[in-house]
Amino acid sequence: MKNSDSNSSLDSRINQTLKNVQGLLKGRSIPGKVLLTRRADPPEDPSLRSPTFGRSFSEIDAGTSDLMDMSKEEEAQDTSKQQNNNTSANKLKPMSSNVEITSKEVQKSVMGARATDSARVMKFTKELSGSTVILEKLRELAWSGVPPYMRPNTWRLLLGYAPPNSDRREGILRRKRLEYFDCVAQFYDIPDTERSDDEINMLRQISVDCPRTVPDVTFFQQEQVQKSLERILYTWAIRHPASGYVQGINDLATPFLVVFLSEHLEGDILKWSISDLSPDKISNVEADCYWCLSKLLDGMQDHYTFAQPGIQRLVFKLKELVNRIDEPVSRHMEEQGLEFLQFAFRWFNCLLIREIPFHLVTRLWDTYLAEGDALPDFLVYIFASFLLTWSEELQKLDFQELVMFLQHLPTENWTHQELEMVLSRAFMWHRTDSKVPSLLTFKYMVLQISHNDLSILSTENLQKKSTTSLFT
Amino acid sequence: MGHRVDHEYDYLFKIVLIGDSGVGKSNILSMFTRNEFCLESKSTIGVEFATRTLQVDGKTVKAQIWDTAGQERYRAITSAYYRGAVGALLVYDITKRQTFDNVQRWLRELRDHADSNIVIMMAGNKSDLKHLRAVQEEDGHALAEKEGLSFLETSALEGTNIEKAFQTILTEIYHIISKKALAAQEAAATSTVPGQGTTINVADASGNTSKGCCST
Repeated sequence: MKNSDSNSSLDSRINQTLKNVQGLLKGRSIPGKVLLTRRADPPEDPSLRSPTFGRSFSEIDAGTSDLMDMSKEEEAQDTSKQQNNNTSANKLKPMSSNVEITSKEVQKSVMGARATDSARVMKFTKELSGSTVILEKLRELAWSGVPPYMRPNTWRLLLGYAPPNSDRREGILRRKRLEYFDCVAQFYDIPDTERSDDEINMLRQISVDCPRTVPDVTFFQQEQVQKSLERILYTWAIRHPASGYVQGINDLATPFLVVFLSEHLEGDILKWSISDLSPDKISNVEADCYWCLSKLLDGMQDHYTFAQPGIQRLVFKLKELVNRIDEPVSRHMEEQGLEFLQFAFRWFNCLLIREIPFHLVTRLWDTYLAEGDALPDFLVYIFASFLLTWSEELQKLDFQELVMFLQHLPTENWTHQELEMVLSRAFMWHRTDSKVPSLLTFKYMVLQISHNDLSILSTENLQKKSTTSLFT
Repeated sequence: MGHRVDHEYDYLFKIVLIGDSGVGKSNILSMFTRNEFCLESKSTIGVEFATRTLQVDGKTVKAQIWDTAGQERYRAITSAYYRGAVGALLVYDITKRQTFDNVQRWLRELRDHADSNIVIMMAGNKSDLKHLRAVQEEDGHALAEKEGLSFLETSALEGTNIEKAFQTILTEIYHIISKKALAAQEAAATSTVPGQGTTINVADASGNTSKGCCST
């Protein structure tokens, strides 16, 4: 539980976050926008896309689990040089193949990550290899991103699927997997004549949705992958009759599939073929996905029951939070008659999977899973931070433009930087909210960040200055 | 809804797209508003939204279309969007009998949550998949006639009848609205005739006059 965090672990986490933000602000010009800055947006010119665009899921993932160190690296370069790099990388594109560029990029970032990230990797290794994993420490580390090859183990532990005690781990996982196979045999592998009408309808709905799950990533178009997904979703639905299958839960299973398959399939997800795996391995991956999905959804059961009260409650909280942080945007949206439910419903229902490029999803989920039981409440902060990425744009749009914009947010070129920014801001707002009861401090913080005055972001300064700002 | 009435259009009509999951509602919408068909479309979560402005009987009409999720679980969320809708496109899939059988349930949804005068067009979508047809066109016609709906078979993939389906709904709405406006004008005209017992108008007028006196 997050609440039981000691002050020191919170402080170390905020330090990590601050380092992330500092790296972001110093090292580069931010393609997105810092909240409430008055700086004009960089033009949406496709030729200015960062060279990382187009990198495959696994490649980009391989080198960017720790943004902080990458940023440090780039701090050394001056900005103009960086821009030159960008341009030359883009100029290269039409001439050389995309693959060449991406492999160079990957080499560089992997090397960078390995060279400078070793301290973090060592911490992870230490935590994971102990005879009893101390989950609090693992959470703290995982919050800022998990090295890709450690993700499967880390996620299983964070979700409470694998036990912290390493002696018991293998045995418990084996038993759980068998339990899943039994469920599949009992519920899924039966003729339709043994199903109720509702169950037939549910299975039909699932089979309609499986082929259109992450359809933009070809890996998910493989029939065997879709069948696995179908078994996971149907089994989960049968065993959770209060909600049953709800569209969007299919999306939530995909990060687990990708992460647990990454233990067995190497390289680029675009080239993964599930038929390279033995049926045993596929079954185990499937079982792990099932249990992890179950664990995740246990924490938000009323998100998917009738009328989805859990989501409605969080949407309301989001509206309230946004109003406290950024009153002008909030007022504008209100004046335009825009309701938060009209766009944020999907955010909560699919946990933002639909809103960001798929290759960033696993990084986002590191933070989700590190939050554990506190996740639903923390989602509100993440989503507020996400929404206010476009604070300025939103204020220029009328009702219809707002709805359209929010349904198709311009995140297709996002890299880890923008995501880290969203998470860091969410973290700081949440921290302020729980530490300083007066919420006026929000605006103060927001303004400070926008002025790039990061010196105030030490916790003591923050408290001192924010109290004075209350009276100005 | 809080949309402003600007001067780019004469009328703004809110339309809802309903029907079972996977019948092609979102593609009908993207075809109509953006001329795009996406084979790899994702399921709609909650509601989505798009608009298109077009000419109806020489008037500029903006269609504000709300595309709803087909799954039953979302009814509680989506039915809120029926409020204020003047038209509905109820879609089924001609290759899936079940989606046609469910049309009655969707009509009930509309009766329960939408305005009683809502204009409904039924569309049998995916007409390009002739070899997979499970619902005959005559069945569609028969049901439409029985329920008093307009009816067309459509193909979002080929763009067949998509334009026509919306054009028909919007024209019908426009005719109803202009008839109502005409009736209201006539009513207003007759009410000024003395002896009709227009006491309310008189009272209003006198009230205004007295205020006017005080302020000047």
